[in-house]
Amino acid sequence: MSAIASPAVVVRLSGVRKSYRVGETSVQALRGVSIDVHAGELVALTGPSGSGKSTLLNLCGLIDTPDAGERELAETNIAGRTEAELTRLRREKVGFVFQGFNLVPVMTVFDNVEYPLLLLGAPAAERSARVTAMLGRVGLGGFEHRLPDALSGGQRQRVAIARALVKSPALVIADEPTGNLDSATAMQIVDLLRELAHEHRAAVVVATHDERMTSHCDRVLRLIDGEMQ
Amino acid sequence: MKWLLFACKNVLRNRRRSLMALTITAVGTAAALVGGGFALFTYDALREVSARETGHVVVAARNFFGGDEDVPMQNGLADAPALAARLRALPGVRAVLPRVQFSGLISNGDKSTVFIGSGVVPEIDFRMRGMQTGFVDGEPFAAGADVPEVAIGKELAKIMKARVGTSLTLLATTTEGNLNAVDVIVRGIISVGVPDIDKRLVLADVAAVQKLLLTDRVSTLSVYLRETADTDAIAARIGAELPQLERRTWLELAVFYQSVRALYNRIFGMLGLIMLIIVLFAMSNTLSMAVAERTREIGTLRAIGTQPGEIVRNFVFEGVAIGAAGALTGFAIAGAVTVLLVFAGLEMPPPPGRSNGYPLLINFSAWLYAFTGLAVLAVSTLAAYLASAKAARRPITEALAHV
Repeated sequence: MSAIASPAVVVRLSGVRKSYRVGETSVQALRGVSIDVHAGELVALTGPSGSGKSTLLNLCGLIDTPDAGERELAETNIAGRTEAELTRLRREKVGFVFQGFNLVPVMTVFDNVEYPLLLLGAPAAERSARVTAMLGRVGLGGFEHRLPDALSGGQRQRVAIARALVKSPALVIADEPTGNLDSATAMQIVDLLRELAHEHRAAVVVATHDERMTSHCDRVLRLIDGEMQ
Repeated sequence: MKWLLFACKNVLRNRRRSLMALTITAVGTAAALVGGGFALFTYDALREVSARETGHVVVAARNFFGGDEDVPMQNGLADAPALAARLRALPGVRAVLPRVQFSGLISNGDKSTVFIGSGVVPEIDFRMRGMQTGFVDGEPFAAGADVPEVAIGKELAKIMKARVGTSLTLLATTTEGNLNAVDVIVRGIISVGVPDIDKRLVLADVAAVQKLLLTDRVSTLSVYLRETADTDAIAARIGAELPQLERRTWLELAVFYQSVRALYNRIFGMLGLIMLIIVLFAMSNTLSMAVAERTREIGTLRAIGTQPGEIVRNFVFEGVAIGAAGALTGFAIAGAVTVLLVFAGLEMPPPPGRSNGYPLLINFSAWLYAFTGLAVLAVSTLAAYLASAKAARRPITEALAHV
């Protein structure tokens, strides 16, 4: 019997737990969550406020550490990694899209998108070519020299997406990427994310409250009180 | 280069705050350079005066320096003309002048007082010491006059009620222990700028003084060099060629110069330190506020793969950009003040114990500018590090949640 090769697992979380201290109280944010996200897959993470979505995203994106459980990113076991190693992994393999765009205001559109490539030490010619191509792909060709303040919310989020994907990461983490956008723009952004995820074979995990968005995703995961439903 | 460009753009984010830090840095830099330049000018001026006064190297018989004499010239140099000829033959030597130090009483017939005198070769000695300008009345006397001629201090002239042409009598103990006297004519009245010295000073022809003391010895031979910088080398050479003699460099004899230098080094060193601390605080304040305002941005950059050290580096570049701009502005201010003072002709009041002021000028020293600039950059780097190191290591999730 011939087996059809399934897409590679980009992120694997197994039995992950995370708690926070709020004053004297310990709050269980995640209670043994396990997920797999595959290359080219757009996964929506939904759930009410306080359900643990952001915590799960942070753990997937290696910007937080779990109390217990295993994590793998692009077949690399994360356990025991130093902060410097985690930073290197994020630099190479993870892109982030934030609800508030989080662009650097003194950098032009070009500079913002170029930044991850600068960190990777890419040559100037390669950086220029990739940034120009990516800006063209997100519909911002000709906007290279503008500052973020001169752009609309939708345009800024496109820049953020371009910044996240310009290095062709294995994983893109998007926390409420449409939260600050009107409906029409939000749908454009979701479509763009999905298209780019498929083009770049990147796994994209999106935390969202937006029901319209989930219908555009390949898979929807629902988190309630720190547990996967 | 890109990082430096980003740093400069970040500096311009809050122009007023950056301008404040830059201004404080510029004023601090200029103050340190003006103060330091003034100290250097003072050192140079005093060095020249000290070297001219004593000669660059002073050669004497053993036991002369610090040794007691039972009778005058007991520790004097015999055969001075031959020694002077040998010294004059050394390369770099401009002149060798014999001097006889003596003391005694000076009298105008009605009144006597103590004097401290020096027998000199007048034509050359006055020129070497630059004393022509010190004459408040009369002129340098000549050697070999029938009645010996002298120059006396301004205060001593007042005490003796003497003017140019007045006849006075010098009484001194001879080398045999007897008293001897000689009548002299006042040819000049001088001021060396120190009232206590002007009250006692008598300069006379060395031959006349030797005749008064009944000796052919001299106290010292003052060796004047073409270049002050050659002093140590030629002093060593003299030591090697004339080991039977003692020698002192002008620096060893320049007590006033060394005292002023030690005092100014402390004063201006402390001033510089205070300026650097002020720059450190100004820079720390500016960069700490920038770091606090950009906490979320730091979190974002950390999330997308910037190492904490790279975050700190970016803030260090910002600090260095402000520090460099401030230092360059300070250089320009100090340079302008230096040039302005040349034309302003301002004068400092006389130092304690002196009666003459001196010009307020500032030396330009590339070394001082370079050192001050590097110190400002070092302080800027330290301020940036202190301001950003903790924020760069803050948990990313906390930084991203910062409002």
